[in-house]
Order: sequence, then C-alpha cells, then structure tokens
Amino acid sequence: MIGTSIPRVGGFERVSGSQQYTADIRLDNALHVKLVSLSCARARIQAIHTADAAAAPGVRAVFTASECPHPMPRFGPVRADRPLLAIFETKFSGEPICVVAADTEDQAASAASLVRVEFEERAPVLDVKSALDPASALVQDPALRPNDPLAHTNILQEWQFGWGSVEQASADLIIEHDYSFPMVTHFAIEPHAFLAAPDANGVTVWSPTQHPYVLQRVVAATLGLPLSSVRIIAPDSGGGFGGKGWPKFEPLLAWLALALGRPVRLVLSLEEAFQAARRTSAHIHARTGFTRNGRIVFQDIRADFLLGAYADIGGRVVSKASYAACGPYRTPHARVLARALLSHTTPSTAFRGFGTPQASWAVESQLNEAAAALGIDPVEIRRRNVPAKGESFIPDDTPADGEWATALERASTAIGWDTKRPAHHGRGISIGLKSSSTASRSVAIVRLHFDGSATVLCGTSDMGQGARTVLTQIAAQELGLAAERIAIVMGDTAVVPYDSSTSASRSTVFMGNAVIRACESITTQLNTIAAAHSVREDAPRGDLLNVHFGPTRGEIIGIGEAGSAFEPSHPLGGRAAFWELMCAACEVRVDPETGAVSLLRLVLVSDVGKALNPRQVETQDEGAAVMGMGHTLMEQLILGADGRILNLGSLDYRIPSIKDIPASFESILIENGDGPGPYGSKGAGEGGTLAVAAAIGAAINEAAGVHLRELPLTPERIWRAMRETERNS
Amino acid sequence: MTITLVVNGTARTLDTPAHRTLLHVLRDDLNLTGTKECCAEGECGACTVLLNGRAVNACLVLGVECDGEDVRTIEGLGAGGRLDPLQNAFAESGAVQCGFCIPGMIVAARYLLSTNPNPSEEEVKEGLAGNLCRCAGYSRIISAVVRAAKA
Amino acid sequence: MNTFQYLRPESLEELFAMMATHGSNARLLAGGTDLLVRLRKGSSKAQAVIDLKRISALRSDVTRTASGIRIGARAVMTDIIDDPPVQEHFPALREAALVVGSVQIRNRATLSGNVCNASPAADTAPALLAYGARINLIGASGPRQVAMDQFFSGPGRTVLADGEIVESIDLALPAAGTGAAFERLTRRHGVDLAIVSVCCVVSGRRARFGLGAVGPRPLVVDDESGILSDDRADPARRDTTLRQLLAAASPISDLRAHDDYRAAMLHVLARRALNAATERMRGRRDTA
Repeated sequence: MIGTSIPRVGGFERVSGSQQYTADIRLDNALHVKLVSLSCARARIQAIHTADAAAAPGVRAVFTASECPHPMPRFGPVRADRPLLAIFETKFSGEPICVVAADTEDQAASAASLVRVEFEERAPVLDVKSALDPASALVQDPALRPNDPLAHTNILQEWQFGWGSVEQASADLIIEHDYSFPMVTHFAIEPHAFLAAPDANGVTVWSPTQHPYVLQRVVAATLGLPLSSVRIIAPDSGGGFGGKGWPKFEPLLAWLALALGRPVRLVLSLEEAFQAARRTSAHIHARTGFTRNGRIVFQDIRADFLLGAYADIGGRVVSKASYAACGPYRTPHARVLARALLSHTTPSTAFRGFGTPQASWAVESQLNEAAAALGIDPVEIRRRNVPAKGESFIPDDTPADGEWATALERASTAIGWDTKRPAHHGRGISIGLKSSSTASRSVAIVRLHFDGSATVLCGTSDMGQGARTVLTQIAAQELGLAAERIAIVMGDTAVVPYDSSTSASRSTVFMGNAVIRACESITTQLNTIAAAHSVREDAPRGDLLNVHFGPTRGEIIGIGEAGSAFEPSHPLGGRAAFWELMCAACEVRVDPETGAVSLLRLVLVSDVGKALNPRQVETQDEGAAVMGMGHTLMEQLILGADGRILNLGSLDYRIPSIKDIPASFESILIENGDGPGPYGSKGAGEGGTLAVAAAIGAAINEAAGVHLRELPLTPERIWRAMRETERNS
Repeated sequence: MTITLVVNGTARTLDTPAHRTLLHVLRDDLNLTGTKECCAEGECGACTVLLNGRAVNACLVLGVECDGEDVRTIEGLGAGGRLDPLQNAFAESGAVQCGFCIPGMIVAARYLLSTNPNPSEEEVKEGLAGNLCRCAGYSRIISAVVRAAKA
Repeated sequence: MNTFQYLRPESLEELFAMMATHGSNARLLAGGTDLLVRLRKGSSKAQAVIDLKRISALRSDVTRTASGIRIGARAVMTDIIDDPPVQEHFPALREAALVVGSVQIRNRATLSGNVCNASPAADTAPALLAYGARINLIGASGPRQVAMDQFFSGPGRTVLADGEIVESIDLALPAAGTGAAFERLTRRHGVDLAIVSVCCVVSGRRARFGLGAVGPRPLVVDDESGILSDDRADPARRDTTLRQLLAAASPISDLRAHDDYRAAMLHVLARRALNAATERMRGRRDTA
C-alpha cells in the first residue's frame, strides 16, 4: 500500500466529467453577481451612479461602499486591511467598487456595464522604486496601521535576519549583482468561483479554498459572527498553487447572501482571476563572499518584494523566504534585509514556493557566477558548501535533514554533467531549498464502521496534489483495509475537524501523522474490545464489532492530532518541520540568431524521505518544474503606466504548453526514510519551482555567452544580451 | 431562438438567446458541467467538445450555430456504460492532477485518435497543443494517449 | 457578450439583403474564432450577426480551376491543410495554416476569415501574398477580383466595400521548379501569435517574400534580380540585396516584441525561409 502508485482517488470523477467543482454547483434561487471595477489602478471615486443598473431587467441589488455596513468591514488573513468594496479610492486595477446581483449572469453583466463612475485618476505606485520614493502616494491609509512606525511609508514591514558578522568577514572574492523576478499569476485552469447562502446557523460559503478553516475565521471576523455561524464548503479545486489560499471575494459574497437573504454566486473570468492574485515580484541585491577555493564566507542580501495594495499573506511570504534565503549552504556570516512594499497592483499572495523561488534565483545564480570567476565547476562549488546531514546551517533551526550532496551527485550524473556540450548548448544546475511548515495543527477523525469499512474526515484540500489518495493509503495501511473500503471526506467545516491549512507541502506530514494517530487510537480500542470479549485480536473486524455492539450497531471513532507548537522566540514562530529540497539540472540549446531556447533535458532530484505514492510525487515535481520553467522563460504580467495589466488574459500571458515541456524529463526521488511524516516522509511538490530558474538561467548563460539576471529569459532579452556581448568583444 | 441539437446521441430542443455560446448552452441549459470554462477565448481548450465529430472550443461557437448539429461532450464519450479507453488510460497513467483541464484534454485526444489512430509523441503534442494544463502533467498525458491508442 | 440578432441566410441574395438592412451594425460569422473573442471583449459590437455557413453558394472545399486551385469562403484550415493539391503545390501555405491556433481553432477558422480580419500578424497572409493569391469578391453589384497585395488597406481594414464579401481565394499553380517555405518566430513553442512571420516563394529568377507582423498590414516584396534565387551567388551580395528588400517593412514595438528585435528577426527568418525555399526548389529540380 505505502510506496505503491495506486490510481488517484477521485480520478474516475475527473476523467468522466462528473467531478463537481465549485462553478458546477447549482443553488436554487441563486442570484448572479458581477463586480464593477475601474480601468485604472488608482483613482479617487467621486460618485457612482447606479440608478440605470438598478432599473435594468432582473437586477435585485446594486451595492457600493455606501450600502456596506459602517464602518466598512475589512478583512485579511493577517491584517484586516481590505474592504468589501473599494471606499473613497480604488487601489488596484480590478478592485471592485460596486457589485450587481441579478437573476441571470447575462443580466448581471449587462447591468454592471450601466454603472457610471465619476473618478479622478491618480498616479499609482507600480514598482519598487516608486514604492520607496518618499514623494510617492501612500498606498494604505496610515489610520489602518495604528502604532506602526512605518505607517507613513509604503513599507508594510521589514525584517533583518542573519548571524555572524558580514561587516567583519573577509573574502577572497566578492560577487555582487542585482536580480529581478517578475509579477506572475497562478493561472489555475479553474478561475475562482464562490457561492454563499444564508442557512439556519448563519451562512454557508462554497469556495475552492485551500484553507477552509482560515476562510471560516476570516468570514466570521469580517461579519462579526461566531465561528459556529459560518460553514465553509470547499469542493476540490481545479488548481490552487497558493492562489486559492487566502480569502478573496468570499467575505463580500457572505455579506451579500445575508443582506439579500438569498444564495449568491460569483464565477470569475480568467481576466478577473489575474486581478485577484499573483506572485510577489522581487528585486534582490546579493553580495556573496567566497574563499579562493569556493567556500562561502558570507551572504549579504537585500530583498525588496513588491506586494499589492493589501497585505493578504504577502508579509509572511517575504519573511519566510528571506529567513532561509541563503539556501542549502554553510554560510558563516549572513545578513538578510527584507522589505515588503505596498503598491497599487493586484494583491500578491502565496504561490507555490512561497517567495523562495525569488530568493533562490539570486542566490543560486551567485554561486554560478562565483564558480565561473574562480574556475571551479558549478557542481563542485555546491559540493563544497552543502551541509552534511545533521549539520546546522541556520543557527537554532532544524539542521540539514537529508543527504543533500547525494541529490547533487544524482542530478549531475543523470544529466551527464562532464560530457562535452555541443555548440550553442549549455547546462546548468541548481539546488532549491524551502523552509516548510512551522507552527500549525491538523486533526483527523477516523470512523471505523461496524462492517469494518472506514471513513476518514480531515480538513485538507485536494487541489490536484493528491491528498485524498495519500491519506487513503495511510489509513488503509494502518487499518489493514483495501483502499476501496475507505471513504475520505474533506472540505466542509461542519463535518471535518480543524486543520490549519493546505500549504507549505505540509499535508502528507501533518495530516498524515494525524490520520496515523487516529488509526492507532482505533487499534487500541479494538484491542481492548477484543480482550473484553475474549476474541482473538486477529479476528475479522466485522465479527468483533458485531459481537461488541450487538443489534444496536455502532462505530469506533479515533481522533488524531499532529502539528508543531508556536514558538514566540523563533523569527518565524517555529522551526522548519522539514526542509524541502530539489536539485535540478538541465541542458538547453539557444538559437544564436533569435535567442529562442529549446529545453532539451531536465533532471529533477528531490529528497522526499519516503514517497508514499511515487507517481504522484513525480507528477508534482514535474508539474512544479514546468511551472518554474514558465516564470523562467515566458511568464510576466506587464503593467501600463496607469497600472492596468496589459497582457490580461490567455492571449498574451503565456504559460508552458505541451509543446514547451523538456524533450527529455527525468524525476529521481531520494528515499532515506528520514522525514518527520508517515513512514519517514517529507513534504514535496514545491521543489520544482525553486530550483529550475537558476539551472535554466545558467544553461542559457553558458549556451549564449551572456549574463542575464532579469526573469523571464525571453528570446528577445537573450538576443539583446548576445548582441551586447558581441559589441563588447 | 429555438434550436435542436443532438447532444451525446439525444436530440435536445431548447430556446436560447443568440449570444449564448455552446459552452453555456451545455453547462447552464443542459446541465452538462463536465465541459469546463477557463479562458473563454479559445486558448486553453478546457471547453473542447466534438461538433460533428471535430474538436472545437465550445466558447467560440454560438449555441444557435449548432442548430441541427451533433455535439459530443466528455459525458458522452464512453459507450454502453463503459468509459472510453482514453478515460481509463488517463485515470490509470497518473495523467490527472486537479482534473479541471482533463475533460477538454480527453475530448481533444479522442479527436486526435479519430484522425490518427497511432500517433507519435510529437503528433500527440500537436494534437493537444490547444489544451493547457497548469498542473503541467503533460508528459503523463502524452503517455496516457499513446497507451490508449495501443489499447 | 451583448445581445444581438442571429441571422442565417441560405442564399447570397438573402445575405446581401440582410447586409443592406443592417449595414455597419452587422458582423459576418464564418468560423467565429476571432469574431467571438472580439464580441466578448466588446472590441467589436454587433446588432446582427450573419452566419455564412448555410449559404450553399459559398463553398467549403478546395476545387481545381483551369490555372490552379480555388479555396471556398467557408473552407476551414484543417481541410486546407489536408487537401492533396495544397500539400503538393502550396506547401508553404500548408505550413502557415498549420500554425493558426490549435487543432480546435483550425477545425473552425476559415482562410477567408483569417484574411478578412486583416490582422498584420495573420499567419496565412504572408503565404497568400507570396503565392500571389487573388481574392474573389462578391456583392449585390456583382463579382470582382482583387490581387492579394491590394486587399489589405491597414490594420483590420480591407478594400471590401459595404455589402461585399469574399467568395473564394484563387491560387495559380506555381511554375515547375518553384520552391517555397514559411518561417515564424513566437514567444513559446506551443500555440502563439507571431512576433514575425515570413513566407518565401522562389521561382526562376524571382524571390518573393510575404511578411507578417512587421507593418500595419502584411506586405509582399519581390526580388527579380536573380541574386536571391541563386544560392550560389556571392553571400555578401545576397545579404545586401535581402536587407534592401526588407527595408520596406516598418515593425513597431508592442507587448510581443520591440521594433529592433522584430527588424532583426525579420532578416533572420527571411534568410532562413529563402534558404529553405531554394533548397526545396533544387530538390524539386533534382527529382524532376
């Protein structure tokens, strides 16, 4: 059971078309909601004329900030800074300033087009430079940031991490460069969809959210309701990647449902989904000191992450990524100064890798630059700096928990690192390391029915990573049942017990352990029952339970809990439960005339402790790597001077298609059973987004003889750099 | 406008406004929600259906254009209560992750196999180039199609 | 999408009457792969959408004419790609049609529609220009024929008069020993819009290039000097000739590329298309 690639639980529903995603759910009597926004990022709202829209056929409500409760309810997972509808000022292109509810989707859309807005456009803050310019507008009202010394700046928060003394460290070689990482969007094939309806206890919200219990907390807080009045139903999503992690329009929908006393429904277009969530862009200035023989002496990093107009989870993205920015290397002296900056752009949020791909692009590229400058092979320079298993590399945090050098060796061997490269070909290698879940909690309930079958209840969301499958395998293993005898129920806060989140590759480890403990509790209870009835412990369960319960029937319930406690003294509130590590190696060919890149081979090696379902781990690794390839080679949101996204939608925002994947793709899993999860597993599934950019970047730089530090590496940028090199030589 | 179309072998007559796309006719009027909506501009392929046997993006076809035509969706792909071999191959080959792109992907693959029963990997890529998968399990999808072709 | 009236004429007479009634408020629908995107985005507004697919006088296939082939207004890309005479005589048109969107798009999009949209980046336009296509127009006042290079008048604009439609596209069979090739550059390997596209047709002493996405409309340039068609001519001289020829292009900067990159890529792709075309020409001669 464990370690076998059983078919995906839910696979049949997905291939037959019967899987019900949120937008597929129909509620009787539901009103269709359409959001109204302005075509610019920042404007003073002077008047909103809604009479024509309100009089349009089928329209049941047209609400602006004036119709919302006073004071305007604000929400957010960490800071309650985001209003239900924009008030006084719109702060990013696509922010709703008005909402229309009508009997049909068409009626809502056509009424929305009748809303007239008088507004005065103002200069937006769109990049790091203008966010830091004291002359720029403040994105957030300082009144929203009481007791915050930074309230009169666009710096949401700043951090300093580090150890040793960078100032006093002496190095033989110092490499110093600026790197940039673009705004990219999740582009889940399922755009967000939300439903809300009043119910006997309060309100029910349907959302493809990754974290039903976070959403319950935020909706309850926004509307001033007890948790027991808010039920979240979270159907399996059509792709999350972080973009469906934190509340978006659910608080608005919940309020509307209660205000109108009717179910409401909002399905975003892909364009609207682009304006609902994105990855934090970043500028990273890295100064790295090395000894003559390639050992890292210090890493001095200044990271500016550009958030959107509201905090969302952006601050945590910045702090977590910056804390571990030095990567999987012994760094005697480290200093990381990180800032989270507000801007008039789409609120940035979690996105697979959670800030680490941005840092990794800089730090891994620095190693490649140093290798070239010192005449040391890029594999060798990493070999010299990677900590051994058990070695501490961030003081007072979890030591290296895997054989990371092995990952490097396996990747370099698989790609044939030392073989000759043909003309215009290049190879690159990189290691990505991510701090995983810190303080968190997962609870599972397992019900053993009297016929010996079982139901697992848990708050994890299956967004394609395959949590249903792996948790089923764990329960099957622990209870000695066939997978078909186990039902797994997720995504309903009225039914499943508490879970912090489906994020940070934590579910297999934490929810997996919770399921094991719940199953252990059942086994203990069964042993007690068997002893009481003098039945042999290995007797069939059904027989035992029949004897035990008699004609009344009954069930055995096991509850399991797993997590790690909040540590107030730790900069992140807790040590990493495990480190997620992937080494990527690749070979590319660059067309010397056009700059076009062909990714010929890509090797991925991840240290997963134990692969509970190897095929699922491989597909997660491959998918993450292709996603990483997207931000490396083609993805970027392009903003106009007014802050509008110019490539809004699928025509000009390019993601990798089936013709873009590497010609040869190899996934290798290292399994030493050394993780804290079930059977020695660690979390997986984000690694590919961490390691791929610097590997491809190095390969392109080698193939084209250039030094690119700004993602994405488009053919035009490569061509331009090649011409520059030509001119200089 | 009243139209009659044959959907998955059954004639369906309904009244639909002219600007309604086939995608919305299927999803909203006929409650066939297996066909998915994403980009609504013919780039992602999530809404792929067979129109008179040919793969098309249902978001770029008006419902009224299909008056008198034959439409097959993911729900109508199997026969005699059994799944299409492609559906089995996708489920068994690890080609399915979140699954949102999968109905469109399978319908496009069905069209490919109807025009080319034994495609090479390159031909599978060409046949599915109009279907985006953000979980990016493309390599497993290719193997699933090749496997189904051999079945 | 805004509401509109859907009209489905079955004859040209009916069509012309409807076009006369609705004038500039009507949009013609063939494959719909561009029109529906524009209607949804509101960049095109329509009070009436007139579907051409039931007009039997408009053909959906490729037929032989005395001098070549005729592609009906309703012929979709897939059928043009699969048509044996197209494959044999117009390989570069086939190559261009093969990169129009995805299979799903090509099953629906018509060649005539692609031409009528008059996008500067239309993939098939360079091939039609280089092959010297002629467009057959028909309107209430009768038919007329326009050379392909006279058809586009600007971005999104053609010489079609009010009440006039494309009836078919004629291509004369190339002379024996003609070579042709199509080249295109995009941002990704998969389905994409062109940064630059070039089609080259070499026949005798003439090398003709259709150029896409490098000006307000697709354009055609000719070299009759024999220098480009001769792959044994002095490479420096050929390159100078090619550069002079391509100077007619006026690429702009947009989301997809900057003007200088486009200009440089135009040269690279034109050279590659020329080389491939002359190679094919030689292949044809050698095997003839």
